[in-house]
Amino acid sequence: MFNRETWIEIAHTVTANPLRTALTGLSVGLGIFILVVMQGLGFGLQNGVQQDFGDEARNTVWVRTGTTTLPFRGRQPNRRVQMRNEDEQRITEQVIDAPAWSGRRMMWGSTVGYQSEQGNYPIVGVEPDFDDLELLPLMGGRWLHADDLAKESKVCVVGENLLDELFKQDEAIGAFVTLNGITFRVVGHFSKNGRWGNSMVYIPLTTMQRVFTGSDEVDQMVLSTGDLDLEGSTAMVEAVDGDLRLRHSVHPDDQRAVRVRDNQEEYAMFERIFTGIRLFIWIIGGFTLLAGAIGVANIMAIVVKERTVEIGVRKALGATSGSILSLIVIEAISLTLISGALGLIAGVATLNVVAPYAQHDYFANPEVNLRVTLTALVVLVVAGAISGLVPALRAVRIRPIEALRYE
Amino acid sequence: MLALRGIEKSYPLAGGTLPVLKGIDLNIDQGEMVAIMGSSGSGKSTLLNVLGLLDGFDVGSYTLGDVDMSGLSEKQGARYRSRFLGFVFQSFNLIAFKTALENVALPLFYQKVARRERQQRAMEMLGKMGMDDRADHLPSELSGGQKQRVAIARALITSPRVILADEPTGALDSTTSHEVMQVLREVNASGITVIIVTHEADIAAQCDRTIRLHDGVIIEDGRSGEVVEPTARGANTPD
Ligand SMILES: Nc1ncnc2c1ncn2[C@@H]1O[C@H](COP(=O)(O)OP(=O)(O)O)[C@@H](O)[C@H]1O
Ligand SMILES: [Mg+2]
Repeated sequence: MFNRETWIEIAHTVTANPLRTALTGLSVGLGIFILVVMQGLGFGLQNGVQQDFGDEARNTVWVRTGTTTLPFRGRQPNRRVQMRNEDEQRITEQVIDAPAWSGRRMMWGSTVGYQSEQGNYPIVGVEPDFDDLELLPLMGGRWLHADDLAKESKVCVVGENLLDELFKQDEAIGAFVTLNGITFRVVGHFSKNGRWGNSMVYIPLTTMQRVFTGSDEVDQMVLSTGDLDLEGSTAMVEAVDGDLRLRHSVHPDDQRAVRVRDNQEEYAMFERIFTGIRLFIWIIGGFTLLAGAIGVANIMAIVVKERTVEIGVRKALGATSGSILSLIVIEAISLTLISGALGLIAGVATLNVVAPYAQHDYFANPEVNLRVTLTALVVLVVAGAISGLVPALRAVRIRPIEALRYE
Repeated sequence: MLALRGIEKSYPLAGGTLPVLKGIDLNIDQGEMVAIMGSSGSGKSTLLNVLGLLDGFDVGSYTLGDVDMSGLSEKQGARYRSRFLGFVFQSFNLIAFKTALENVALPLFYQKVARRERQQRAMEMLGKMGMDDRADHLPSELSGGQKQRVAIARALITSPRVILADEPTGALDSTTSHEVMQVLREVNASGITVIIVTHEADIAAQCDRTIRLHDGVIIEDGRSGEVVEPTARGANTPD
């Protein structure tokens, strides 16, 4: 069945009608192409969002405050709500039972100097648990200790951008830098995946409050939800939210003054969105495949009809039904297989060309799901085989003479 | 060589059946050259197709050589066709995308002859038909007479015992017709039985024997010349 002669015959018939061959190829190739590209883009979107989440541990709750938008208890809107150390202390000791937490305060565009080099970097005051909450992989030295906070030490941990830009060849750990003119000692450095996170300089929150901001103000709080499920973390969010609104007289509906964001819930929301996107891609992909299969079936039906006389002649010349069937089916299979493979290659190539231009906060590394694509290819090839088989079976069942009478 | 006994065949029609062959008794000996004549619709092609194992029959018996051909499976039919029978059609029925040589070699493909030998034998056969210089031509590049020569070469390539030709000259002008008949007579002279369906009296006149069909029965059977006299259903009447 798969001998050289059959292939020569098939090569003959395939090249005998290039338009027909091209149309079959197009319907299959395009189907696979669209599927590959859509899968790739969907995957890229998911990658991007996941990467964005990768910055922060999933089981964290971020607490922020802002200005009020609603009057409440005789207070006018546009009042600034400021968290303080006492808020953090109360919340972590009395309101909730968080396994880890950190206050956070940031000074944008601070001047960092090392010897004759200097540059602008954000300085962030945090507490010892922060590296776990924000997922900061330490590359050398150490992270901030509880002792650093207690003693309000002038020590800092720097992102790897500073190593490149300030320290160059020098050893950073142990080196002295000036932060807005005040001397600190570098005790560690870290490297994050991508973006501006690597430009941060972390110092103890207590040191920042004493040396720079001169107060007990805290801008954000990061709380770990530990191994709480979504329900548990939601309860934690509500407790913190309620406490802050009560203490700072904020209207329950005021969305700006107190914002407590649960990463886990947000992640669950993205998960739902992605499930939707995946489903959408599957449905579109399914229809694309169906269209491709119908295209193949259609063309094979025409092919066989066109070749009814030829089939009759072949039978008169001694061909068995089996030999004719296998000829047509192998032809259908090789057509779909080759054009499907071309569509796959074109799709992968397109993604590879597009990928470098398509790096965005919410889009990264569009990839081809090979398993899905190969499944699709197999489906199409089987569809091609069946759609060749059905009209071919009808054609070979016609007695040769009826086929010859066809014209 | 060929023997039909009481062959009946009808085609299914919307409101029942259409009887086409209504009891055919016929013996054809090895080496005969026979014309089957009759007006259009009289059942000539149907008879030829039964003889050629291209079509079955409802009643009667058919022996080819010494073998009973009734109740053959499709596969057996294909084997006998390819071993004993060669076909020539009015519309040539060459495969359009194959060259003359490939068309002639095709029956050998179904006999599983090796490619090299196929081509060699096909080339020889084309040579006998005076067509070896056209071996690489596609059918569309050949004249009607040339196409029919290729078709005859294709029918002869498997060394059949019988050549069945349905109106082989029907699509040709009279000069070419006579050339093709000349070829078929040479084929016959080599001992091969030739059976030709035709409605042209001068074609039939070149055969040894003429059988005349009318409405599914044989009404005349005799030496050529005996039947060419103009009768009420004159052989010259075009149908
Ligand atoms: N496959 C078929 N189905 C139905 N009727 C057929 C079929 N083939 C032939 N016939 C009918 O059988 C009769 C004989 O046909 P045919 O043998 O082709 O006649 P001829 O070759 O003598 O012109 C005609 O009436 C024709 O219409
Ligand atoms: Mg006829």
